[in-house]
Amino acid sequence: MTDTAQTWRGALGRAKALEFQEYALAIVVVLLFIAGAILKPDTFPTWDNIRNMLTQSSVVGVLAIGMTFVIATAGIDLSVGSMVAAAGVFGGIMVGTDGTSSLVFILAAILFATFLGTCNATAIAYGRVVPFIATLAMFSIARGLALLLNDKLPVSLLDLNGGSFGDPRPFSLLWFGVGRIFGIPVSVFVFLAIAILGWVVLNRTRYGRYVIAVGGNREAARIAGVPVRRIIFSVYVLSGFLAGISTVLLCARLGSASPVSGNLYELDAIGAVVIGGTSLAGGRASIVGTFLGVLTFALIFSLMTQLNMSTEIQQVTKGLIVLGAVLLQRPEARY
Amino acid sequence: MTKVLEVRNLVKEFPGVKALQGVDLDVLEAEVHCLLGPNGAGKSTLIKCVSGAIEPTSGEILFMGEPLPQGDPAGSLKRGVATIYQELDLVPDLSVAESIFLAHEPRRWPLLDLDTMYRESEALLTRLGHESIPVRAKVGKLRPAAQQIVSIARALSGNVRLLIMDEPSAILDEGEISTLFDVVRRLTAEGVGVVYISHRLDEIRRIGDRVTVLADGRTAATGIPATTPTDRLVELMVGRKVEQLYPDRPVGTDRVLLEVRDARRLPAVRGVSLQVRAGEVVGLGGLVGSGRTELLRLIYGLDPLDEGEIVLEGKPLRPGNPRAAIRRGLGLAPEDRKSQALVLDWSETKNVTIADLGRFSRILLDIRKERETARKELRALKTVPDDPDRVVRLLSGGNQQKVVLARWLLRQCRVLLLDEPTRGVDVATKAEIYRIISELAASGLGVLVVSSELEELAHICTRVLVMREGEIVAEVDGKDATERALLRHAVAPTDAPDLVEEVV
Amino acid sequence: MSRKRLAISVAAALVLALGATACMGDDDDDAAATTTDTAAETTATGGGSGETVKIIASVPPTDHGWLGAISKDAQAAAEKHDDVEFELLQAADADSQAQQIQQAISQKPDVLVVLPQDGAALTPVAQQAERAGIRVVNVDRLFTAPDAATATILGDNYQIGVLAANYIADELKCQGNVVEIQGLAGISVTEDRTKGFTDTIRQKCPDGGLKIVASQPGDFNPDKGLTVMENILQAQSDIDAVYTHDDDMAQGVVQAIRNAGRDDEMFLTGVGGSQDAMQQIKEGGLYRATFLYNPNMAASAVNMARLIGLGEGFAELVPPEVPRQVVVPAAVVTQDNVDEYEQYAFD
Repeated sequence: MTDTAQTWRGALGRAKALEFQEYALAIVVVLLFIAGAILKPDTFPTWDNIRNMLTQSSVVGVLAIGMTFVIATAGIDLSVGSMVAAAGVFGGIMVGTDGTSSLVFILAAILFATFLGTCNATAIAYGRVVPFIATLAMFSIARGLALLLNDKLPVSLLDLNGGSFGDPRPFSLLWFGVGRIFGIPVSVFVFLAIAILGWVVLNRTRYGRYVIAVGGNREAARIAGVPVRRIIFSVYVLSGFLAGISTVLLCARLGSASPVSGNLYELDAIGAVVIGGTSLAGGRASIVGTFLGVLTFALIFSLMTQLNMSTEIQQVTKGLIVLGAVLLQRPEARY
Repeated sequence: MTKVLEVRNLVKEFPGVKALQGVDLDVLEAEVHCLLGPNGAGKSTLIKCVSGAIEPTSGEILFMGEPLPQGDPAGSLKRGVATIYQELDLVPDLSVAESIFLAHEPRRWPLLDLDTMYRESEALLTRLGHESIPVRAKVGKLRPAAQQIVSIARALSGNVRLLIMDEPSAILDEGEISTLFDVVRRLTAEGVGVVYISHRLDEIRRIGDRVTVLADGRTAATGIPATTPTDRLVELMVGRKVEQLYPDRPVGTDRVLLEVRDARRLPAVRGVSLQVRAGEVVGLGGLVGSGRTELLRLIYGLDPLDEGEIVLEGKPLRPGNPRAAIRRGLGLAPEDRKSQALVLDWSETKNVTIADLGRFSRILLDIRKERETARKELRALKTVPDDPDRVVRLLSGGNQQKVVLARWLLRQCRVLLLDEPTRGVDVATKAEIYRIISELAASGLGVLVVSSELEELAHICTRVLVMREGEIVAEVDGKDATERALLRHAVAPTDAPDLVEEVV
Repeated sequence: MSRKRLAISVAAALVLALGATACMGDDDDDAAATTTDTAAETTATGGGSGETVKIIASVPPTDHGWLGAISKDAQAAAEKHDDVEFELLQAADADSQAQQIQQAISQKPDVLVVLPQDGAALTPVAQQAERAGIRVVNVDRLFTAPDAATATILGDNYQIGVLAANYIADELKCQGNVVEIQGLAGISVTEDRTKGFTDTIRQKCPDGGLKIVASQPGDFNPDKGLTVMENILQAQSDIDAVYTHDDDMAQGVVQAIRNAGRDDEMFLTGVGGSQDAMQQIKEGGLYRATFLYNPNMAASAVNMARLIGLGEGFAELVPPEVPRQVVVPAAVVTQDNVDEYEQYAFD
């Protein structure tokens, strides 16, 4: 059996094969951009719109980076969208109706989201609950908490601007939403920083290698001395932590913490990760792929809205593009 | 004598590679024709062409004198060509009868005719001498040997005239192999022709009538008698003279590295004590189910100990903790490389370094150093190819095993636990692995080897311990060890005494 | 992992989920203070014959302030009557709402008050209830068959579209670019609001000077409102007015406009009458108007259900009966009259 495979796939056997998926998706991104430039030449290929698309990708993008780690261990986290909502409302309550401390909001939101992620991690790594079920439960629980904590009401955060509304002070909450550094929105910086850090950790540290080993062959990893349980625990905590950061970015732009936020963000995150080439079965992960996947979704959304396409057509088109992106990948990668 | 199968000048090309370059083969009725050859020689490609799984580029395949439909597995099956693969293609949740008749179930249209199905399954199993296998039982619950019989029954259910078996003995122990041979003889008595692929030269001598040797996609020799001497067969396969299969027997020192004191974990291990000294290769022989693999798992910490102690270099080892074991210098090459030792999608480098990443990183991994170090280790073991980026899935069994060994050599362990190190490995690589084990022992490691091939243990070990039903029942000095002697200990005195006579 | 552990975890999760839902049902009553009896005021005639009317209300998940207010108002209205036994059920989605209603049917209430997540999807189960002798009062989102409910009370979404169109056309004098941010695509509420708007614009400004340059769904959700508006702002360099289908969603739209620094360029209208909206209308500026039909139509629905259960009707009608359809009129709230309507605002 393996004779045949070995001989005729010799040429393609190099472990660099993963990069092909990344190239394929990059092509999709470029094609979408060109399509947009042709269809809406005055408004699509502008710096302003590029900034806009990057900003819009940053919220789901941060979630998707965390999701990459989780999926690399052959796990899944269905609760990130709900965690975003819950963390936002929690942060808002901590600040209080008259509060102006951005730091309190940011810390509270991140800590609460991390806490929720830790609940997931405990159930999965130590309670031996299947990730799908554990995070599905949290999906529900976190959403419920988001609605409960402030009696279904959103919390206004417009005061967290460091004193001036239209021009928020650096490092105040609203600054993360509208502030810019060298003309680039702050949330994009945050997203890029996390993506780069994510890449470094996943590909150039022992920890990252262990994460992929756990997904690639859990039993083999254990026998080789990888602390499997600890690794699994850590990725869900990480997912929660990044959900907290995502919350900060979202609430900064919204100017409020809404209990109905984050609706189905986990599907977008998972979708971006999967079309980026990370395998749902674990063992193969690509941060670059995830990044491109997030961009792909942002491009699709921007283009279709600008073209004022009706929702029905938008949904069909988005589905077809995703299918196309997956088909461009290597056959073995498609499960 | 009628030729059941005739293959003339078969050529199969894949993009970039010529897998078969003109292969000739013929198989007679009622014959067991063995197919021998190193990995990559084209054995799998050849069978796939015959069974119809793939289409040959050119050449002829005649079955019972008629050309065989090419690229049509269902057609071939109908004509009477059945194949049993190494990874038995059975569905664990189906019952025995359902598996036997899968895709050609007897019907009382539109419903399945279960009565006939059960009846005929029982008949088939009886023909094979295994009426004891319950036809309603789920296949997944049977032992591998029984599953294999079910596969054979399935082949029989289609009126087979040519049965191709790909390394059937890989998953069996000695006792089961003898039973398998009985079955094969029954089949040939009915006139069925059998193509039997195996790496084990002793088996070929036992069961084969004639042999065809493939090497590099060509027929090195065809139709030679199975009694051809081993050296000649190996020479044909490898293309050159292989001096000897087995290296010098290692002689141990007095320094005890590993000591197991009354280790117990019911039901598999019932109180085992042993010692492994530096420079020794200690073999653990026995039949399937004797507890050898379980013992290794206990020593390494994959399973918790009910009672007993493991002592490494004089200090007790924390049980049930593989990471502690690794830190103290133990290494384990598990029984099933693919599912327990390797991350198949990874490169050779990553598989080698996974147990010792600390060596290459303070905060960040030094990728270059990692690659170079891995390459060095792989080269030292003559891994082919020693390309650090080659995906491990594509390597042959023997080379995959070398990757696993390289992992522990990198880690510089003190005691190496090897579980079936040469399973699924071709002859030439086996010799290399034996040499590696011998050199490791010579350099001061202690090695504990579990193997089902008693012949192998008899040749490479300083001492051989024989396990039966969870206990060590005999210790035989390497010099005195023979396959027969070891088997005698492995089998309980009341069990099939003819089994022992059977072994030549 | 062992099946036992899985079962326990799933059960725990379900219990927690159920617990959370149950808790949401028992709302605190601080909101009840602002609710007053409006349009469908009824006088009970010869009520207390000692019988209790069993009413079960089914509402969709509260992913929106307006729906939250609906639940509270329904509860408050029921509590005002001694002869009403009331239970509020909240569903997670259209499918589970159908199942919940089926279970409710087996409890044999006198009347079911239903605000369906999706009118068409829940029509069959409503018909089932009616056939089983249980009267159904349909609130807000319409069923698609006449025999699915005994009485219907709804806001006039079409009229809201009309009012908004009139307001915007008057303000812009039939000249300019308008953006529409719709609600959840595919439900009657959204479709009516859009239709009322587009029909009126066409009638009122036949020369085409007032153009609808973009129309995208915001799903009644502020995040979606935010991102959709951000994209539209990119595509359109000159916008004069934004017509949104919902105040909560509009918060996101407003933020997008503010973030882009284009609040002086246009004005915005919403629907629903949330406190935030009223506040912003009062302050003036970007948010100019909202159109509301009050969530306390739920209270009216409960009152109507009670009357139906008691076999009575509106005293004003001759003979007294409960009308088949009650349409609650919408009002335009602008800076001029916001003080009047603040009391009806939901949060």
